[in-house]
Amino acid sequence: MSDTPILSVCDVRKTYGGVEVLKGVSFDLARGESKIVIGPSGTGKSTLLRCINLLSPPDGGIVTLDGVRIEEKNINQIRAQIGFVFQEFNLFTHLRVLDNVRLAQRNVLGRSRQEATRRAQKELERVGLADKFDAYPAELSGGQKQRASIARALAMDPKLILFDEPTSALDPELTGEVVQVMKDLANAGMTMLVVSHEMSFAKAAADEVIFMEGGVIVEQGPPDRMFSHPEQARTSQFLQMITHDHQYA
Amino acid sequence: MVFDTLVAEFPYLLHGLWIGIQLLAGLLAMGLVMGLTLSVMSTFGHWSLRLFAVIFERIFRGIPEIVLLLLFFYGVGELIPMSPFVAAVIALGLRSTAYQAQIFRGAIQSVADGEVMAARALGMSRLATIRLVVLPQALRRSIGPWTNEYSSELKATSLAYVIGVVELTRQASYIVSNLQGNTLTVFAVVAAMYFIVNRLGNAGLYALERKLAIPGFEGRGSES
Repeated sequence: MSDTPILSVCDVRKTYGGVEVLKGVSFDLARGESKIVIGPSGTGKSTLLRCINLLSPPDGGIVTLDGVRIEEKNINQIRAQIGFVFQEFNLFTHLRVLDNVRLAQRNVLGRSRQEATRRAQKELERVGLADKFDAYPAELSGGQKQRASIARALAMDPKLILFDEPTSALDPELTGEVVQVMKDLANAGMTMLVVSHEMSFAKAAADEVIFMEGGVIVEQGPPDRMFSHPEQARTSQFLQMITHDHQYA
Repeated sequence: MVFDTLVAEFPYLLHGLWIGIQLLAGLLAMGLVMGLTLSVMSTFGHWSLRLFAVIFERIFRGIPEIVLLLLFFYGVGELIPMSPFVAAVIALGLRSTAYQAQIFRGAIQSVADGEVMAARALGMSRLATIRLVVLPQALRRSIGPWTNEYSSELKATSLAYVIGVVELTRQASYIVSNLQGNTLTVFAVVAAMYFIVNRLGNAGLYALERKLAIPGFEGRGSES
């Protein structure tokens, strides 16, 4: 790829309480590309995301965003450019949906109230929450909460968005609406790194699938190849399990 | 007879009550500002700040109010002269700080970690996160436990009597000595006055709690 990657992860390592969760993970993400990270629980997928924006600083390795190394200094500026969507939504309980989306625009980007409101409305409309501006998080369904949190990330004009199991806390009938929003985003050219077992997203919108196990990347490749004839026996075993046993996904 | 005197002396009781309320407002305000600071320090601060907070709380929760009053008025007052009223505000205010710090710390810890993480992930600084995400929620949750602090400090203002603050209890004792007896009647009136201020304050705090309740959450019901 001629373009320099928007995100470059190089040999990232992380140890928790004596256990090495990430044993040197490297990959690149090009502008507009979306990759999905799959793998058994406890293989460091979520930790990997947290190591990227230093919510959980890595013990080793280098992460660069658009050519700039991500370090503790200026971390707030860097984080403002990286959207993060959590499994548990983590909307601000005390704020209406509109204010959830406005808060960091005002506080971090210094946008005017008017500008922040305009952007918040636009992004909430984009995720189908035009009628929920004044609702509080506790008044929303899980799927609506997750869409609101995606709007909150989008309003910051991020260079990429990290999704940490965005549908795992949702009832099965609510995952569809969130996955649809994510597919739309990927098709609109948003750069995304998604930890999820949502195979419908992987097949329809991911440019590449990364299979992780035991703190390392076992195999990565385009979804067609990964699903039809993966190189590693372990990959095909895992894919068979999650596609056949829907409960697991 | 007694009642005539009581009616005549009532303005003094009211004035005493007013002094007591000023004392209460002063010490609660001091406890609020310092207690909140201490609770933020002990939750988010460097270990040395945390240690300071713990020691402060242990000391001021471990000394009787009356001893604190005497200590400040006669002890510290000897080095830095101060009026009985000021000494009472400081002595009771420091104690209230220790208790309020505990109330706020509990409330701060009850705010979901995930929301703090979300704020940080958006690029908000630690301080902005505390100010805009943690405290607005923690303060709402503090109102309930804070009603206890209000009640106990209102009653504690009567102790300022021992260092000569002319508040309600002291006014009452003046009237009793003038009347030579009738202690029961006079102190019954005083008790009723404390009771009414206590109820009104708590009713106001519960109303505030209901007004600030976040829609969609279980409220405290119709407590008041």
